[in-house]
Amino acid sequence: MAGSVLELRNLHKEIPRKDREPFTIFKNINLSLRDGEFVSVVGPSGCGKTTMLRVINGLMPRTSGDIFIDGKSSAELDHELVMGFVFQGASLLPWRTSLKNVLLGLEGRGANSNDAATIARKYLDLVGLSGFENHYPHELSGGMQQRVNLARALAVNPRILLMDEPFAALDAQTRNFMQLELLRIWAETKKTVIFVTHMIAEAILLSDRVIVFSHRPGTIRSEFQVPLERPRSMEMRADPRFLELENIVWKQIEAEVNAAGGFAKM
Amino acid sequence: MNERIDKLHSNLLKIGSIMAGLALWHILSDYILKDPTFLVSPVVVVRASYEMLFVTGELYPHLFASSWIFFYGFALAIVTGVPLGFLMALSPAVRDYVNPWMTTLYSTPRIAFAPILLLWFGIGGGAKVAIVFLGCLFPILINSYYGMRVVNREYVELARSFRLTSWALFMKILLPASVPFILAGIRLSIGRGLTSVAIAEWFGATEGLGYLVFFAGQTLNIPTLFVGVAAFAVLGILGFEIIRRVEAYATPWRKESQGG
Repeated sequence: MAGSVLELRNLHKEIPRKDREPFTIFKNINLSLRDGEFVSVVGPSGCGKTTMLRVINGLMPRTSGDIFIDGKSSAELDHELVMGFVFQGASLLPWRTSLKNVLLGLEGRGANSNDAATIARKYLDLVGLSGFENHYPHELSGGMQQRVNLARALAVNPRILLMDEPFAALDAQTRNFMQLELLRIWAETKKTVIFVTHMIAEAILLSDRVIVFSHRPGTIRSEFQVPLERPRSMEMRADPRFLELENIVWKQIEAEVNAAGGFAKM
Repeated sequence: MNERIDKLHSNLLKIGSIMAGLALWHILSDYILKDPTFLVSPVVVVRASYEMLFVTGELYPHLFASSWIFFYGFALAIVTGVPLGFLMALSPAVRDYVNPWMTTLYSTPRIAFAPILLLWFGIGGGAKVAIVFLGCLFPILINSYYGMRVVNREYVELARSFRLTSWALFMKILLPASVPFILAGIRLSIGRGLTSVAIAEWFGATEGLGYLVFFAGQTLNIPTLFVGVAAFAVLGILGFEIIRRVEAYATPWRKESQGG
């Protein structure tokens, strides 16, 4: 599709196995994101959604298919930082302060260290952590750690933000606050986002579009435009359109789980 | 506030423990055993230490001789063990080459090597340094290897997602992640190194704390024997304290290293 920021064409991932046919993680993934779009991927556990994110980022090789960023193949761009990855665990380096953690992606990228520090401060400020520059990760709460994680991914000014269940480890209340924070930050930075989550409500609240994955091997089962205006708010969770979509997506995931032999077998 | 009281409490307990131990020792030697060829009171040891340090000064040559041997062997073990451990962690080929030797040498009692090292290097400093080196090497080597092997996979993926070069991955992730393990290895090797000094000086030395202890034992000079043992203990405590400070300085992000 012309004008898309990220395009996946027939993306396919399998893992070779000894003396058996390869294990297919996902197949036939065709997906196109326009500039500034927020797309969530939901699906049953083990459907390959996280693996897809890792393949897109080049953390794992793909078996076949193509990835294009602004029309260029991902192989061409391998040494450039076009994507920021927000890991599920904050994965902050414990020996680096917040500021130094955010600096990690900026170091050795040409910018002199003063400029880099200014940029890092700006993003810490954006995620609401000014004043915590010199704190070590163990001195921060789980929510604050995820804020640093987000600032670190944003600081390199990536074209695309890949987020792998970043709020999964947070308590329900902190998670709600972080969802609103993410919406605010997204509105300010205008990034194109793929957000993987197992929480349907989270996907709907945040996204322009929700992709539902089938059970293993993962394929795109369906996709929905979220019929809610922006800016979003927590009250929208009670909106009939929200509830209807949540219900439809849940039914689909339930059907996938049942087709796989039920939840107990997952 | 509570933390300070806890710390005070902990310090009082430590001091109390030492005092109780010394008192028990004194009672045992002067009131129960009453045999100065078997055990002498800590008071006698303190007096003998004072004399050997400030009156005759005869402790210094031994102290310096042992300290130098320890220092050379220890430093050599660090500059060899750390890089070799890293190479083993980063290259399966190096690991497979070194592993059988490491396992064999590590599990053989070091004292068994002493005579053969003396045979090879003569009774000069070389053999003693070699014995200390062997004693210190393996905790440092194994910890450096292990520390780099167990670096959280997430950090390595993080480096990949930021497209760090291999060199940056090493310098910014693998090396700092290994530092606590290396320091733990170094801490372990202090005790082993001092044991090695004693072993080395028991075999045909003419000076050093090991020699002093050995000779005093042979001549039933119990106060001098205890002075030598105490000097070893002081060296050990000093070494531990230095490493503790290095740890607190090098790894301020570790909560454990900030306490006492």
